[in-house]
Formats: sequence, structure tokens, C-alpha cells
Amino acid sequence: MKIINNLAVINALLLNIFLLLFSTSASASNESNDDWAEAWVEQAPASPWQVTGFIEAAYGQFLQTNVTEHNASLNELKARINIDYSHELFDASGKLDSYYDAVLTKTIFHTRELSISASPFSFVDIKAGRQVLTWGTGDYLFLNDLFAKDWQSFFSGRADEYLKAPSNSIRTNWFYNAVNFTLVWTPEFTPDNYINGERFSFYSPQAQQIVAPANGFPVNKTHKAQWSARLKTRINDIEVSLYGYQGFWPTPEGTKQPATNTMQNQAYFPALNTWGVSATTPFKSGILNVEYASYNSIEDSEGTNNMIANGQHKFLIGYEHELAKNLTANVQYYLERTKDYQALVNNSQLPEQVVAENRHLVTLRLSYRALRQTLTYSMFAFYSPSDKDGYLKPSVNYQYNDQWLFSAGANVFFGEDEFSFFGQLEKNTNAWLRARYQY
Amino acid sequence: MTITFTKQMMKASKHSRQVVLTLSLFLASHFNLHAEVAPRLSNENATLNAITNTTTNKVNNIIDQANLASYYAGEDGSAEARMIIVDENGNRQMRQFTILRKDIQDLGDQNMLVFFSQPSNVKDTVFRVEKQLKSDDNRWLFLPALDLVKRISAGDKRTSFVGSHFYYEDVSGRNPNEDNFTLVSEDKNTYTIAAMPKDQQSVEFSRYSVKIDKQNFLPTETIYFDKSDQAIRKMTVLLVQDINGIPTVMKSRITNLRNNSYTEMQFRNVKYNLGLPDNIFSERSMRTPPKAWLD
Repeated sequence: MKIINNLAVINALLLNIFLLLFSTSASASNESNDDWAEAWVEQAPASPWQVTGFIEAAYGQFLQTNVTEHNASLNELKARINIDYSHELFDASGKLDSYYDAVLTKTIFHTRELSISASPFSFVDIKAGRQVLTWGTGDYLFLNDLFAKDWQSFFSGRADEYLKAPSNSIRTNWFYNAVNFTLVWTPEFTPDNYINGERFSFYSPQAQQIVAPANGFPVNKTHKAQWSARLKTRINDIEVSLYGYQGFWPTPEGTKQPATNTMQNQAYFPALNTWGVSATTPFKSGILNVEYASYNSIEDSEGTNNMIANGQHKFLIGYEHELAKNLTANVQYYLERTKDYQALVNNSQLPEQVVAENRHLVTLRLSYRALRQTLTYSMFAFYSPSDKDGYLKPSVNYQYNDQWLFSAGANVFFGEDEFSFFGQLEKNTNAWLRARYQY
Repeated sequence: MTITFTKQMMKASKHSRQVVLTLSLFLASHFNLHAEVAPRLSNENATLNAITNTTTNKVNNIIDQANLASYYAGEDGSAEARMIIVDENGNRQMRQFTILRKDIQDLGDQNMLVFFSQPSNVKDTVFRVEKQLKSDDNRWLFLPALDLVKRISAGDKRTSFVGSHFYYEDVSGRNPNEDNFTLVSEDKNTYTIAAMPKDQQSVEFSRYSVKIDKQNFLPTETIYFDKSDQAIRKMTVLLVQDINGIPTVMKSRITNLRNNSYTEMQFRNVKYNLGLPDNIFSERSMRTPPKAWLD
């Protein structure tokens, strides 16, 4: 019902917008409209319930021939309902997406959040249920944040919030003076929504070519738990964090023979433990951040098993600065150093396709806000000198009013080799459009 | 660092010297009219300087009082606010939020939390500031959709606050050390003060004039002028109310005089001296807003 109502609202509003845009007498008297001032005085009794949300239409298309089943990378009509309930002792929150996805040709109901938060003691906050979790200091680069990501959304032009996928977790946040300890327990490991062929093509080392299996590829799921912990404090103006993670690689970085079928190898999520540190501080009227993470691929700790990813050292340094009024730049340098590299090369069946021991990546984000921040131009560029590949993510956002948001952008991948990180995605280069009505 | 700093100091002192010189000349010419009446003054210059200093002290004192009244009322405070943003075509946008503020020291550092509730695309977004007079402010933003607390750079203080005509500096207060002030005139109810930025390059205006109410020291009107002395921007106080004995601006408006677009800011549910604990001004409150203080 809600959806039907809102569609009617959309139609009505679309009409209004057209009338507004094409009317030449749209100028209003600025000094005499005090009518809303009265409405404020009569304060409505605060309801513990709040319902908000949006309706969104999105379309994206590949800019060249791809081996995927569809030419569209994104084609959906989505309705979001957020329901919040506030009680003296707790808060409950639900965020539900229902959409028709014409790329996957199905209707999808997706719960982004269904959680209860409470502070049972003065020194602890608990949030239990389905939720989105984030930490770390990178901009689109994640080192110590191993919470689930949705790369299919990110590469297709959905809103940024969809880069983070939800997980069913219990988060406890402990506070002692200026020290904060966060422990997240996810009873069932939640992997990323990685590229698997249903929407985008990728390089298959087995087939040694770009593939796009329409129904994805079989992956052996794991039902074990994952744990994430962070200890955070502030020393003067520097925010310092220590991280730990016990779980699995968030993408299927391993292949093994399943017990039931001795012929066919199957992808799976090998066990992974990580630890790391980060620091953030203001520096020369900008923000400087550094982060390090050590990935220990414990099922292949010597790096000799070519079926399982090696461990890595990950290092990031970034700096954000306002270059001019409303123009912000963020530069990052990222290094991914493979552990036991010689063992990896020695045991690889395709040593010429093995990633460089030191994979470098530089990123630049430029964002410019105009028309009192209602119009935002943004360009995010990734470039890897070691892989000789990159990824450009330009976008324009226009907040026409409090209800309507229009966005357009592109995802441009390039690379010399078809097996490198971004190079394999070259044929997925796409452009997209979105229109959202918020209520 | 030190060299730049010294240069800036020299520049600043040069500016203030200019202003003092102009002021002295003005006073001197004025003084000559009375010279005949008061010929017994033996050291004219010393007296002139004394008068100039007194005037400078007086104007700085008024500015301090105005700052106290505008930005440091009570030890702490909370208020619900909304901004109605009207562009040159009459299109409106709205921002609604609750502010918590606590002073560390009067006319000094402050902590602030801004909890957004409307429109729905910014609902539950939280902005946190540690205002520091001696160095750049610390700023954080909590984006609920991503569960992300992002540290943001202090940046240009004269950029729009959440898309409104109010600048960050209008919300948190412009540092009085940035300008030189002159008392232009005063009548029964009002001081009129002219302000010149010490560093012309750092701002979009060349001067501004401010009217301050003698009763409560609240600025009632501020007009900013560009390099060609055109009035470009105007702040007007539309409503002042007494809250627990503290005169409080409940409604004000900033108008872009070039196209008559404007933002009106309104407050309600203003409270002072709540006894806000220091520890609520933290990352914790951004994820878990302190309900007890937000009613």
C-alpha cells in the first residue's frame, strides 16, 4: 500500500517539478513568507515512532560489449522504509529495502537493519541484530575493517551507503575514561557481496579468461563465527586505535576439493586472522591518517599452498585538505605487500600472473560543492603503478529540494592486463543515473 | 612556521597601526576645535594616545560583551533549531537539529554537538565540534547509514553550514582577534561598530558594520561589504526573548543581498545551565545520542 501511495506521490511531484522548472514566474517574494514560523510554535507531541524512507529508480549501462548476460549493470526500482522506535531504555531500528531488480530479474526484499540498542550500564552500549558496521581510517580503502562490503553495489553506482553490507552481529562498546573498547561478535561469518558474474564479469585464473557465469559460481559457505575488536583512545589531538580480527577472508580466496565430490574444486573462504593499528590527527589544517594491518592467512602460513591466498602487510597513509572554498582533496597511498612472496611465485601455476610483491595504489578524491552544497561534483581515482591499472569514479549529485535527489556518474576501469585487480573489470565500465524521492 | 607567524603578526600590527593613525587624525582634527577652550593641555600627543586607547578599549569591551551574549550565554545550553533556506527562486529547504553546547571558558574554547533530525536524508547525522581559539577547531561527522564517524578538516570557516546562508563562523562565532574595530557612533539604544578584517585575503568581505543593542549587547544587524563597498550580506535579528533572565536570539536571518536568497534560523526549547557533563561531548554520543539531555 505504502508503495502505491508513494508512486502516486511521485507522479504528482514529478508534475510539480516540471511545472516549476518551466514556469518563468517561479520567483517568490522573499520578505513576506512568515507562514512557517507559526507552525513551529505548536509543538506536536513527540511520537516514539518515526517512519522515513525513499523511493528510487536507478539505471546503469555498460559502455562496451561485456560477456555478461545483460547490457544493464543496474536497473531497479526500490522502496526503502526506515522505522525507528525510541523508548526510554532502548532504541529499535528497522531499515527495509524492497526492489525489483531487472538485472537479476527478480523482486528482492532486503533487511539492511533490524536492531535493538541499549545502554544497560553507564559504561557500556550494546547493539544487537542486523546492522552495518564500519571502522578504520581509509577512504574507500579498508585495512582493519573486515565487515562485509557490497562490491556489486559499489561498482554499479548505487548510493555509497550500499558499499557497506549488513551483518547479524552483537556489538558491545565499553567505555573507561578516554578509552573505548568495541567487541563485535558475528555468530555466522558474513562475506562480502563480491563480483561473481551475475552482474559483472571478472578474470578466472582456471579458465584464463574473462568470464561472467550468470548464476555466479559455487562457493562453499562457512557458518562459523567471526570476531572483531577495537581499542581506541585519544592522545592530545591524535586518535589512536588497535584492531584485531578472527574470522575468514571476506572474499573466496581459497579453493579446495569438497569431501563429496573429488573431481571439482570449489572456492571457499579460508580462515584469516588480522591485527593492526591506526592514527588520525589534524595536520596543517587538514586531516592526516595512517593505518597498518597484518593479514595472517593461517591455513597457508608458509605461503606454499597455491590454492589459498598468502598473508599480507597492508599500509595506508592519507591526507585530506580543503584546497579552496568548497573544494576538498583527499590523497592516499596504499601498499599491499605479500608475505612469503618467493614461496607464492615458486608454487604458482601462473607465476607471470602473480601480483607484484609490493602492490602500490594511489587514490585522489576531489569534491566540489556548489549552489550552497546542493550540487556536488566528485571524482575518485584509483591508480596502481605496480598493476598498471586503475579505476575512475566520477559523479554529480543534485539535491533539488528536501525530497528530490538526482545523481549521475560512471565507473571506469582500465588496465594493461586482463588479470590485474582493476584490469579484469575493464569491460564492466558503466555509466549510471539515479532519481530518489525522500520522505 | 615561526617566520610566517612573525610576518602575520607584523601585518596585523601594521593594520592596527593604520587604524589607530586614522583614529588619531580624526580625533586630532576634532580636538583642535576644542583646543582654544582647553589651552592648558601641555602634552597633546600623550592625551591623544590616552583617548585613543580608551576608545579602543571601549570598543573591544563592547565586542567582548557582544560575543559573550551571543555565543557564551550561561555555562552550557541546549536548543532546538531549524533553518529555512530559501534560494533566489523561492525554493525552500529545511534543516532541523538540536544543539548541545558547553563552555570550557568564557570567550574561550567550547564543545558542541549538533544532532540533525530533518530532513530524512540527514536524520541521525551528528556534527561534533571542539572550538579552539588558539588552533584549528576539531570537527567530526557521524554518518548513520555507514555507521561511520569521520574526522573532518577544520577548513574554511566562511563556508556554508549545512547548505544554509549561515557560515560555520556565524554559528560558532568569529574570533574577535581577526578584526579591528572602530566605534562609529552610538545613540540611546545602539552602538554602531565598524570592523575591518586584519587579513583581507582570508575573507570574502572587505569590511562589515554591526549594530549592537546597548541593553543586552546582542548584535541586531550586521552588514558585510565587498571590495567595491557594495553591501553583499546582511544578518538581522528578528526576535529576542528572555530565557531564564538571559536575552536570547530566537529568530535571525542571513540574506544574500546580491540575489535576496536567505536563511532564517529559529530556536525553541532553549535552556541554559543544565549541568551538561563533559564526557557527553564524545564519539559515544554521536552513535548513541544522550537522550536525557535532548528532551
